[in-house]
Amino acid sequence: MKKLQISVLVVALTFGLFGCKKEAPPPPPAPAPQAQVQTPPAPAPVAVASISLGKALGPDKKVTVPTDTFAKDDTIYAVVETTGTGSATLKAKWTYHRGDQTASVNDSSQTISASGPAASEFHISKPDGWPTGDYQVEISLNDKPVGTRKFAVK
Amino acid sequence: MSDEMPDFSNVKSGSSSTATKIYEVKAGDSLSKIAKAEYGNANAWNRIFEANKDILKDPNKIYPGQKLKIPPK
Repeated sequence: MKKLQISVLVVALTFGLFGCKKEAPPPPPAPAPQAQVQTPPAPAPVAVASISLGKALGPDKKVTVPTDTFAKDDTIYAVVETTGTGSATLKAKWTYHRGDQTASVNDSSQTISASGPAASEFHISKPDGWPTGDYQVEISLNDKPVGTRKFAVK
Repeated sequence: MSDEMPDFSNVKSGSSSTATKIYEVKAGDSLSKIAKAEYGNANAWNRIFEANKDILKDPNKIYPGQKLKIPPK
């Protein structure tokens, strides 16, 4: 009888121990997913898409009469088409060339604040007529040359 | 044949853009003077004033170094 009591006690203690066992703490909650903050892509800065020469412009500032040969009394237009947004400085450096010699004709610049594709023009004229010969215009964007166009006056 | 290079001192130049131009005010400038240079019409000064009301309170007071927005023609 005593043996039976001991067995019952052992069983009771065993289950009691398991019954009182402290439950393992619940696993920590999974971290909240990182909020996906969609940052818009940085706007592309102003870049030169094309440079064209001509004798006349349309209201959209684009060349309507493209040419690289001008007459002595022409107004000469250089149109710089740009893409991108932001502030940028465009410069036009006009020069005359004879053999190894170069003469400065005109330097001009304009700073634009573009909100998208734009056309910017530079023009030069000479009241007493252009000397015949070879010329070129060099276009710079923020002081970096981006293109040169050669032309002639005949 | 003379090797002397031609004289280009009387060359006239100009520029314009479909984008808003930025003009930095120089000593002696007025809105009328800028409008004359940019639009060929001094009476167009109000266009420049309207475009720059965020920085200009009085059209008669502009200062060297100010950067003004010049709306396209």
